[in-house]
Amino acid sequence: MAPIGSFLALAAILFCIGLYGALTKRNIIIVLLSIELMLNAANLNLIAFSRLGVSANVAGQVFGLFSMTVAAAEVAVGLAILIALYRNRNSTDVRDMNLMKW
Amino acid sequence: MIAYAWLVPAIPLVAYLLLLALGRRVHEGVAAAIGVLATLISLVLSLMIFVDVAQGGGQLPYLWTWLTFGPGPGHTWQAGFEVNSLNALMLVVVSFVSTLVLLFSRGYMHGDPRFGVFYQYLLLFVFSMLGLVISPNFLQLYVFWELVGLCSYLLVGFWYEKPEAAAAAKKSFVVTRLGDVGLLAGIILLYLATGSFDYDDIARAIQTGGLQIHWIGPQGLATLGALLVFLGAAGKSAQFPLHVWLPDAMEGPTPVSALIHAATMVAAGVYLVARSFALFDASPVALDVVAYIGGITAILGAAIGLTQRDIKRVIAYSTISQLGYMMMGLGVAAYSAAVFHLFTHAFFKALLFLAAGSVIHAVDTQDLGRMGGLWRRMPVTASTFLFGALALSGVPPFAGFWSKDEILASTLAAGRPLLFALGMVAAFFTAFYIFRVFFLTFTGRYRGDRVPRESGWVMTLPLVLLALMALGAGWAGAPFTGYALERFLGEPSGASEAGAGPGVMAISTAVSLLGIGLAWLMYGERATSPEAWSRSLWPLYRLSFHKFYFDELYQAVIVRPAFALGKAFDWVDRRIIDGIVRLAAEATLAVASGVRRIQTGQVQTYGLITLLGIVALIAVSWSLLWGVRS
Amino acid sequence: MNAVSSWFGGFIWTGQTVAFFLLAVLVVLAAVTLLQFRKVMHMALSIGLVFLGMAGMYVLLGADFLAFAQILIYAGAITILMLFAIMLTRHDEVEEEERAGFRQWIAGLGAAALGAVMLWAIRTTAWPPASAQPPWPAQKSVNALAETLFTGYVVPFELVSVLLTVALVGAVILARKEE
Repeated sequence: MAPIGSFLALAAILFCIGLYGALTKRNIIIVLLSIELMLNAANLNLIAFSRLGVSANVAGQVFGLFSMTVAAAEVAVGLAILIALYRNRNSTDVRDMNLMKW
Repeated sequence: MIAYAWLVPAIPLVAYLLLLALGRRVHEGVAAAIGVLATLISLVLSLMIFVDVAQGGGQLPYLWTWLTFGPGPGHTWQAGFEVNSLNALMLVVVSFVSTLVLLFSRGYMHGDPRFGVFYQYLLLFVFSMLGLVISPNFLQLYVFWELVGLCSYLLVGFWYEKPEAAAAAKKSFVVTRLGDVGLLAGIILLYLATGSFDYDDIARAIQTGGLQIHWIGPQGLATLGALLVFLGAAGKSAQFPLHVWLPDAMEGPTPVSALIHAATMVAAGVYLVARSFALFDASPVALDVVAYIGGITAILGAAIGLTQRDIKRVIAYSTISQLGYMMMGLGVAAYSAAVFHLFTHAFFKALLFLAAGSVIHAVDTQDLGRMGGLWRRMPVTASTFLFGALALSGVPPFAGFWSKDEILASTLAAGRPLLFALGMVAAFFTAFYIFRVFFLTFTGRYRGDRVPRESGWVMTLPLVLLALMALGAGWAGAPFTGYALERFLGEPSGASEAGAGPGVMAISTAVSLLGIGLAWLMYGERATSPEAWSRSLWPLYRLSFHKFYFDELYQAVIVRPAFALGKAFDWVDRRIIDGIVRLAAEATLAVASGVRRIQTGQVQTYGLITLLGIVALIAVSWSLLWGVRS
Repeated sequence: MNAVSSWFGGFIWTGQTVAFFLLAVLVVLAAVTLLQFRKVMHMALSIGLVFLGMAGMYVLLGADFLAFAQILIYAGAITILMLFAIMLTRHDEVEEEERAGFRQWIAGLGAAALGAVMLWAIRTTAWPPASAQPPWPAQKSVNALAETLFTGYVVPFELVSVLLTVALVGAVILARKEE
């Protein structure tokens, strides 16, 4: 069995890749995708701890399941907002979404 | 019955609240009926109380605790009411005149769009005035004192769309406020000295020597307290030098002038001095001040009244002059003579005002030059005015004769021939100016353009009733009834009275008749031209006509400097204080307009900065932990 | 290989570890290519690959049910939803060719710094040794999950179903054409 550190390291790398994507990509769909990547990394942590952590038990999986469900809901709402935005501004570029500017 | 004396002011208050609830669209008849009915009930109650007092004498005050803010007698304020012979008399006078004025107003104010409001204000005034009269202590008196001042302000400025009326209301309020500050200071001083607001407690403290504060001797304290109280009384009663507001207050509706500025509110100052007479009695200096201020006011008012062309202003100056008489009487310790004059003056002065109101209502002007010959067209008004004028002039057997003579005799008895002389000259002036008004208004040729008609019964009935009082009210204190009123009032300690002897009576009657005769020669018979007199005596004439330039003097000495000071403060406020505030605002704005450019609205930028922040935080905290560990 | 094994703390080569290593390489490669692609469509497809690799990781960790849920929800539903969103907007859109700007550099540096900090923390922490047996009965991970979920966590479970309903309604209202 691979040690827990391996899983955590993989999760950290995935998280940072997702973070870089979320901060630099211009298409809002890709930004959403990057956020999903980060969420998945966090999920991997939960499940790795549930199997290999100090007090390993099945509750970690329960939380993983919940976070998945929440992610699904988030994607649904996020895409709905995206479509509404696209309809109003005719663009998917995050740089056009600057209504909160000074 | 005396235990229910609180009902006397309470009923007008209820009527006021009722009218307030009914709103300003109330029917004129309803408003007038409520008002007259309420004051009529008050009058009946007052008469019953008066009879009780006459049979049983004075009563202890009915008190309950209003406010307790500490242990000991000085830390409890009491409220309540009391009835003694003085305020029983005042209750009757106030409610009697109020009833007639409210009835009169039904005709005078007919058709005014704010008729209901007028009755509201009047009822509020009646409540306040009656409450003032039965207050057992200075504090409660002060509350009502300010209330009547407020009502006076509201009623003088009743036609506030007229700029003169608004200005007059303001002036009356501000000038009386000058006096009220003195009164308040006096009340506080007396409270500090005795720990009580009660008239009786203060009088007792004076007698037992309990009146003292460490920084002033008892004699000085009595003088200071009395003078401060007198300042308040002088403001309210329009005494020199605070008399300037009363003539301007004639901009108000005439019933208001009759009720407030002749019979009741302006007499409150006299009442106050009479009520706290024990205090004044303790200080000869204060009494002298009261006497001489009264004397000066009497002659000054009468002298200005000689030349005024506005019918109401003549009567207003006459009021000032008569109030001066009362103060003069109090100043020479002629307590009951002064109250007696207050009593008779209330009737004949209200009568003169209401009769003048009836004339103004008919001819729609206050200018004496546009009246004349109204005797035949308005017989009731003219004959009642004549009654009032005779009473004012002091012609026997009318009311004013008895009371004025008693005051004049008292000045002689007190050994003040100067005051006696002032009073006599003022009496001559009085007879002259009031008959000048009478002849100009009712005799000769009509010089106006509107056809005058006699007023209806609601206006003439009060005139007739008041005329009867102007004739008969003085008999209550006349020698042939054995000075009944004086005996009823009783003598507070220190008061000295002198019944008018036949000599004084003869002189004053002669002086009055002389004044009337001169007026008749000038304005009735036109045997001698008033214009010629005014030309030959032009400096005096101008002085009188311009009211001794008091308004101009105050304008230059008080109003202008006050405005200049205000302008200076305004400049400081605008330029310096506002400048600091604006500097703070501008600085914030400048910084903000630079800093706001950070807010790009780009979520990714925010995220990036957050990331950098997190990295920095971790780095810092880690290095700190590292330091702890090693 | 020794360097790597020492980095990851006593890496023992078994079938499971080989599988982990292959899957890890697949996932990281897919994630990196995701960021390298120019076409939005390709990006969406490569994230599907990441999701599948993650499902493999779950299987390795003995979370069978979650592995299936991952394939169904992420690789299936979410990826397809993304594709729909791409189609509905501008599906031929191409991420513009960009020079590596200041922002990219800063973001890359920041992300790398964060990653370095996290890796270092993982490296320096003493983890318990990996046990061969999962903390639940062998071959019964789904039973164990179901038992925990429907006893101790039944209230959050119901709340999550409410959340899903709310998200559904919210998404419909947001995406609906304004009248």
